[in-house]
Amino acid sequence: MRSVFLLQLQRLRREPALVIWMMVMTVGFIFMLGGLGSASTIDVPLYFDASMDEEEQDVLLYQLNESDAFSFSLIEEQDAEKRVALGEIPYAIHATAENYEMLIAADDANHVFIDQYVRQVYVDELRLQQVEQSTEDPRIREEIDQNLSDVPLRLASETVDGEEQGGGIDQRNQALFGMTLFFSIYTIIQSLSKVAEEKRTGTWNRMILSPVRKWQVYLGHLCYAFLIGFLQIVIIFAGFKYLFGYGVGDSFGSIVLAVACYTFAIVALGMLMLGLVKTLEQLNAVVPIVAVSMAMIGGAYWPIELVSNSIILAISKVLPITYAMEALKQIASNNHDFTALAQPLSILLLFGVVCMGIGINLMERKM
Amino acid sequence: MLETTSLKKVFKKHLAVDDVSLYLDKGESVGLLGPNGAGKSTTISMISSLVKPTAGDVTWDGKSVVKQPGVIREYLGVVPQEIALYKELTAVENLKFFGRVYGLKGRALTERMESVLELVGLTERKNDLVKNYSGGMQRRINIAVALLHEPEIIIMDEPTVGIDPQSRNYILEMVQKLNREKGMTVLYTSHYMEEVERLCDRIYIMDHGKVIATGTKQELTSILSSEETIVLELDRPYPELKSELADLEEVHRVVETEKGMKLITPKNSKLLSKVFQVAERHQAQIVSVNVQIPTLEDVFLHLTGRKLRD
Repeated sequence: MRSVFLLQLQRLRREPALVIWMMVMTVGFIFMLGGLGSASTIDVPLYFDASMDEEEQDVLLYQLNESDAFSFSLIEEQDAEKRVALGEIPYAIHATAENYEMLIAADDANHVFIDQYVRQVYVDELRLQQVEQSTEDPRIREEIDQNLSDVPLRLASETVDGEEQGGGIDQRNQALFGMTLFFSIYTIIQSLSKVAEEKRTGTWNRMILSPVRKWQVYLGHLCYAFLIGFLQIVIIFAGFKYLFGYGVGDSFGSIVLAVACYTFAIVALGMLMLGLVKTLEQLNAVVPIVAVSMAMIGGAYWPIELVSNSIILAISKVLPITYAMEALKQIASNNHDFTALAQPLSILLLFGVVCMGIGINLMERKM
Repeated sequence: MLETTSLKKVFKKHLAVDDVSLYLDKGESVGLLGPNGAGKSTTISMISSLVKPTAGDVTWDGKSVVKQPGVIREYLGVVPQEIALYKELTAVENLKFFGRVYGLKGRALTERMESVLELVGLTERKNDLVKNYSGGMQRRINIAVALLHEPEIIIMDEPTVGIDPQSRNYILEMVQKLNREKGMTVLYTSHYMEEVERLCDRIYIMDHGKVIATGTKQELTSILSSEETIVLELDRPYPELKSELADLEEVHRVVETEKGMKLITPKNSKLLSKVFQVAERHQAQIVSVNVQIPTLEDVFLHLTGRKLRD
């Protein structure tokens, strides 16, 4: 087993391109989606419809900029349309008095957040206007504002370092966890695909004819795939925590534990896929399909909290990435409730054991 | 030493090997000759314990290999048809890995590596990556790996496929040396008749999963002792000639070759004048005529009606 494991490391030393490339891609996507700085304000270019007067424009701009998460800045209509069309800016808002439209250059994870926020601002404002109209009281808006500023019950949560948690979605952690888990699927399954490659080239049979037991050969490969995937994720998490100040929580040990459970589940999923496909080429075709759909449905690309479709939510319950994201977000929010963490991690381990059993069985039947 | 009894292998509905019984005595060099798809590789996979037979048994010194695959493995070296090596590693790194897998280490491993590298003539290039080797060199290191643990018997599955004549000759000499000087038992499969003729004491001819003939080269060619082979070289192909030649009463078999036709006929049949007449009717230009003693290729042709490399 040790010889097989060390041999895979030796082969990696000779051809490390895939692993390095996956790490570079991960880091690149995290920066692109999560940003570099400690603040995570989303800049939104905005232009007003000609039908709005100056006072309406000022009020709406003020209301939109009340959130710390977004920064709305004015742009000329023609300039906005041109720059969105050229892809220089990802989106722009065209605001009217009672509605808005969003110009979009390409799919972007921030659309959903911006759309959700702007819609809420409009809904609140329209409600207030309706109340004003129905009560015919010019002071009703002030009264409501006053009541809202002096609510009888306020919900707030704080982290140990005193930073207030808004209860919203941390876009930076979402990008860090999502992209790292997503790209690690490629690294792990590609590392594991060496089993199929060895069976094709005949080196597998050479080992089977030697005194080494078959389970030792499997174990050597599984340990290698696990180690590569595990190290890739842990190195990226550690790098972003300590070098770029990402708030992944105080307990890095818990992160490592969650990563280990997730890596085991993905190694097992890889074995199942190896058992199901007939050739290495088929595996190479299937891996991107499985990885991308799993990341989309499991909440790696965007927060699962934003998904309302019951079918997608049901499917997400059988995907390991869903539970890994859940566990990592819990750890990042400094929720040290062991039972809350134990549930997703246990499901990951169970998923791993089931897939591993079926996968090895299928592979052996093909021999 | 090694014996198979009524070996049979069925893959789904395809009968790959059917009732194959053969034996090898210690120090013998035995050939398994047959065209592609004859069942040679499946047979040796069953002998080497990689594939479980559907029926029949393989025994090594009287012990069943099917029931206990371990009984043969430590004594067995297998040279697969494919280059079963890690091409991104050097020859030495490959040998080291497979040596360790066989439990060799330290000085013993180093000595064995040096010995097999010398045998295959790659000592000078031992630190080169295998992917940078020529096809012939890759074949040689493929053999070296199988010899690392000093097996008593070596099974070689078409070890010279796709290489240049010089490398092929080197490998054949090496196999002869292993068999004659080191007393290693060899089971050699090939569809190259001349290789089997050169290397093997006894030959099994396989076709469609069955052993169709067995014996020494002399015993096999004596099947055609009452026959001879007429080789016609023509200026170009004449497909219509074949059926007319086959209709001649004295002709047992006709097969098209690269340059013309090959006819198996009774000895001294005085057939040539009729052959010339048929050729003239078709305005075929005969470049040369050769009357030969039958070869193993002719035996195969006689038994199956097909060429070995069809």
